[in-house]
Amino acid sequence: MKRLLLIHGAEVIALLLLSAIPLVVNNAYALGLLTLLAIYGILLIGLDVTVGYLGQINLAQAAFLGLGAYASGLSVSLLGFGMISALAMSLLVGLVFGGLLAFPALRLEGPQFALATLSFSALSETILNEWEGLTGGAQGLQISRPALWGHPVTAQGFYWLCILFLVIVWLAMRNLLSSQWGRAFEALRDSPIATDAMGIGTYRHKIAAFALGSALGGLAGGLYAFNFQYLQPQSFVYELMVILLLGVVLGGRKSLWGALVGASLIALLPNLLSNRLLFQIISILGFGIVLISGGRGLIQKTVRPFQAIAPMISMGLLVVGAALVTNTEDWRKAIFALMLFSVVVGLPEGLMGFAARFLSRIFHVPPAPLPSPASLDAALPAKSADNVPLLVLKDLKRHFGGVHAVDGISITVHSGRIHGLIGPNGSGKSTAVNVISGLYTPTSGSILLHGKPLPGNMFRVARVGISRTFQNLQLFTELSAIDNVMAAMKGVYHSPLPMVLLGLARREERRAQSDALALLELVGLQRQARVCAKDLTYGAQRFLEIARALARKPELLILDEPAAGLAYPDVSNLIKIIWDIHQRGITIILIEHHMDVISELCDVVTVLDGGRVIAEGSAEDVKRDPGVIEAYLGTANKITAAGVQELSANPG
Amino acid sequence: MKKIWVVLLMTGMLISPAWGADTIKIAITGPFTGGSAPMGASMRDGAMLAVTEINAAGGVDVNGRKMPFEVIERDDEAKNERGALIGQELASMTDLSGVIGSVNTGVVLAGDKYLQEKGITKIITPAAGSASMTQWSKAGVPELSIFRFAADDGIQSAMVVEDAIKRHFTKVAIFHDSTNYGVSGRDDLMNQIKKQGNKLQVVATEKFNIGDKDMTAQLLRAKAGGAQAILIWGIGPEMAAVSNGMAKIGMKVPLIGGWTLCMSNYIDNAGKNGDGTLMPQTFIEDPITPKAKAFIEAYHKAYHVTRIPSPVSAAQGYDAVYIFAAAVKQAKSTDTHKVKAALEDLREPVKGVIATWNHPYSKWNPADEQTHEAFRRAQVVMGVIKDGRVEFANESDRKQFIENAAK
Amino acid sequence: MITAQIVVSGALMGLVYALVAYGFQLTYATSKSINFGQGELVMLSAFFSLTLLDWGVPYWLMVPGGLLFGVLLGLFVERAAVRLALEQKSEGWILLTIIVGLLGFSAAENIWGRDDRPFPTPISSDALHIFGVSITPVEISVAIGVFALMGLIELFKRKTLLGKAFEAVSADREAAELMGISATRTVMLSYGLSGLVAAMAGILVSPITTVGPTMASALILKAFSVAVVAGLDSGFGVVIVGIFLGSLESLTSFYIGSGWREAPGLILLILALAARPNGVFGKAGIRKV
Repeated sequence: MKRLLLIHGAEVIALLLLSAIPLVVNNAYALGLLTLLAIYGILLIGLDVTVGYLGQINLAQAAFLGLGAYASGLSVSLLGFGMISALAMSLLVGLVFGGLLAFPALRLEGPQFALATLSFSALSETILNEWEGLTGGAQGLQISRPALWGHPVTAQGFYWLCILFLVIVWLAMRNLLSSQWGRAFEALRDSPIATDAMGIGTYRHKIAAFALGSALGGLAGGLYAFNFQYLQPQSFVYELMVILLLGVVLGGRKSLWGALVGASLIALLPNLLSNRLLFQIISILGFGIVLISGGRGLIQKTVRPFQAIAPMISMGLLVVGAALVTNTEDWRKAIFALMLFSVVVGLPEGLMGFAARFLSRIFHVPPAPLPSPASLDAALPAKSADNVPLLVLKDLKRHFGGVHAVDGISITVHSGRIHGLIGPNGSGKSTAVNVISGLYTPTSGSILLHGKPLPGNMFRVARVGISRTFQNLQLFTELSAIDNVMAAMKGVYHSPLPMVLLGLARREERRAQSDALALLELVGLQRQARVCAKDLTYGAQRFLEIARALARKPELLILDEPAAGLAYPDVSNLIKIIWDIHQRGITIILIEHHMDVISELCDVVTVLDGGRVIAEGSAEDVKRDPGVIEAYLGTANKITAAGVQELSANPG
Repeated sequence: MKKIWVVLLMTGMLISPAWGADTIKIAITGPFTGGSAPMGASMRDGAMLAVTEINAAGGVDVNGRKMPFEVIERDDEAKNERGALIGQELASMTDLSGVIGSVNTGVVLAGDKYLQEKGITKIITPAAGSASMTQWSKAGVPELSIFRFAADDGIQSAMVVEDAIKRHFTKVAIFHDSTNYGVSGRDDLMNQIKKQGNKLQVVATEKFNIGDKDMTAQLLRAKAGGAQAILIWGIGPEMAAVSNGMAKIGMKVPLIGGWTLCMSNYIDNAGKNGDGTLMPQTFIEDPITPKAKAFIEAYHKAYHVTRIPSPVSAAQGYDAVYIFAAAVKQAKSTDTHKVKAALEDLREPVKGVIATWNHPYSKWNPADEQTHEAFRRAQVVMGVIKDGRVEFANESDRKQFIENAAK
Repeated sequence: MITAQIVVSGALMGLVYALVAYGFQLTYATSKSINFGQGELVMLSAFFSLTLLDWGVPYWLMVPGGLLFGVLLGLFVERAAVRLALEQKSEGWILLTIIVGLLGFSAAENIWGRDDRPFPTPISSDALHIFGVSITPVEISVAIGVFALMGLIELFKRKTLLGKAFEAVSADREAAELMGISATRTVMLSYGLSGLVAAMAGILVSPITTVGPTMASALILKAFSVAVVAGLDSGFGVVIVGIFLGSLESLTSFYIGSGWREAPGLILLILALAARPNGVFGKAGIRKV
């Protein structure tokens, strides 16, 4: 209750404050700045979807602002649209172009994604510039603000309209980003491979995130057009984009408040810095803050020396500069740069990230309470173990150039069993698993599940009931343990997007939470449900991956070296967990080097070497197989008990 | 966090108008940083020179009281958005007497409407794009507080086309940059060619972007069409790349274009390839009159340069301040509305560095934007570049200028 | 013949893109980071070199001075904007390099003025006519300089001990650190080299492009495109892509219209990325889990 009161209280106060300013201060300039703030707020909330949640450098948001602005402007001047329909048009243009651009950008990440979006911006600027017949080209487009349902809109009224849109966007995005959609976006950022392997789907979410963020860019563009009433293509170029990017990061990623704070920084700061006295006050205040906080950090050794000292130097320069330089207008960019530098270095998680930590410490904001865990039967329905062939590999091959990683293996996995897959390093176990789970397409051969061929794509394989863990952990590192499990949860989320936006999908959210808690309980992590995945111990991370894989309610679970790197007590926990899963009738393929784990759990073991099957049988049988011992020890001479010992002790 | 900003915002607003009461407050706006800065900064520096001179003499006589100028500067970065916000900021200042400046036509179009709304007097200089004034005649506003102190592109393009015809050219190429200024210059040239009897055939219309360095493709198109001259409209050093490119591909035709060709970033960078380039000028950095000599020397001394980056901008900024001061004196008030009325009917001639200004403006007539334009054809001459200096293209013009100043 | 002239002129601009793009590659190789303020490095080094000339330093002494300044700038960028972010394994370097670039830009405006200035060079800019194609000695010097510098750096990477450390860190940072190579020093080295390349680009192209605060802002976006499309680990691939893009722009401006100059390049660029995300000459990685 206290939590809701604080969070919503802050929102309501900010809203009232923002709406009331024009009533108190009758000043066109203040109104202009605040209107720009509201517009940038919407724009940055949209940009945050790709930058914060998808974790990509998106350099196209300025272009969407421009496209939206021209869409509104032209639909008013050419088609005679009213205010609302013109804005809807802008939103639509952003949505459609955003979706289109997402297609070629789908496979791209990092610098490549940045470049694709940058090229799109340049291209749209060229088109706006060259299509003079429509856009007026470089000479610009003059627009008059249309009436709103027949009423002319004053500057003040328009400001309130912008605030209204900001509130709507704020609420809708809060609902969306705290739903499965938000988790999916973050999952995509942290591990695209696991996103597909957990049946969440990278493509649909990448397109959705991009289209959505762009649509908000378009909407902001429409408002921008009616605010400034004069458009030129050159306003929406790279330079603006960089400023927007700075705004998002400075404000704090993955935060609506962050977007708003970022918007106020970039809308107000460059304009306020023109005032010399104000600039001097800000620089002295800033210097004081970095001196105190940096000094404290240095003494308590909570920050790196650079992180404390660099902001001091840069703010110090600012204070000295403020005293020496008479014409601050000439140095405005440098001043802006020095301030930004201090913030980015000193507060890497952005102003709001810092403020959120600080405020929650002051007010002791507890996290939202969790529901009680569901029964395991609801979260992971038991299956009957009928011991019929479930997964059949027939002469499966996968070659990488000249390397025959998997070279014609045939294995049958029976339902309800724990099927061990062992072999020395480089024997093709992991490749085989990657082929089964759809990461690699087979060079030849076939994989049948229930007698039907598997689709050759990770996402679809996940959807037909095969779930897996990874040898190298592929957790959604920035999500909490429970969110990791919820992100993969199958059969819970049914609400369509509009319902989610309206906040009408909370019930299934609760359901997913209690199911996820049940699974966390199964692997012994129920107490760490709120802990961020990257902060868990290594062993806990391994268990979390298993819980996440179980959220798919799989028919077949593939565990890729789950014991690798585990300490002894964790290994026995692991054995117990796998046994519990087995008890629920789930078929398991277990890849392991720990022979004791294999011996204790597996009904049948297949041994690979050089991409081929060299033995199959019970754990005891294969241990004694001369071919297996040779594969591990490189010689058949010492067919002794010692050799077997060696084999069981060999973990890597 | 939010609240701190609101508080800062409010203090900002409280602080700004807290000036002394005995000054004439004016704002100088323009791009002081970025690509258009040579023009913006020269204009500002020229204007500040005038302000310093006036203040050193005690200020302007306002109804018997000597009042000095107080200047606030705003850098619009040549960005429309900044232009609009600065327009709003200035429009919300209650005791501002006027505004001088603006280089980029887009910024003028984005920002001036807020000033006009509040009736704040502004003298635009050196932005020359036609749309800055025609937007008001098109809208048919009955009263206008915006004046211009620059040879508008209409005059300039007419002179350029005239000159090309006078030199018996029949085929020309039009080059322009992709900014608002360049594109509207292209349209003005096309109109003038039509207006002056279609004597010139345009064989190529070529565009270049700010920052482009390689003009070979565009020049080859002009060359293939047999262009005898290149008419050019642009704002920056890209025009030098055109000259240098011509030299490279062995194309020897003159470049004729807007006043911006006189800027040092063209002259220096084109070097000897810039010789013979022709452009309309309102001021030439040539101490032909004592006043011009004093101005040039004062500028060099004050800003530690040997040449003014954009002499036209500097001289226009300088004269604009003197004209504004004269209007304040005549209005006997710092009230911006009264200054505007005085500007529309300036009775005493103002001795400027460009010319002596006799009644530069008259009552606004929406049918004729010339009423708020100071420059007439007579105040503009063709300049030519010779050995890195702008000189009078015709000796008769030089005499005309000396006469203008003496009047 | 006209086509040949256009291709040659475009290709020369393309070589300049390639040289700046090469600077991106150097730092990306060792640290997977890029200096988004590389353009400001080009500009600042050019201004500094111009100042040396103004002080009467002879051209051939100015060159090493300018290059040294570039190296120092590169090291400064690494210390101020990159190292912390790399230590925190964050992408803070994106913003910090932009911010440091902005600071450099503003400083240059105030120190050297806002105007574009010519850059004197002893090399003639009177055109030669080779098989009917006009080309100036300055342009030839750019081409020679680009190839010479890139060749020397590649040679350094392969033949010297320090260079091999560089290659080792590029190939596998963790493994190299286990072998006793300091990754931090190697990243410093790469930023220093990248600063050197930026300074060289500044000195080489300034006689053609002139020196001004905005001289590299258009250049840098093109160079970034070239680097990514060629592949951030493509080595000499940037030269081919650079020449291709430069010529394509010139040809478009001649045959389609100068306003559309950049459009075909941009469309091809998006398509090339969609088809080969790691770049045309990049190594396609196998996704390992």
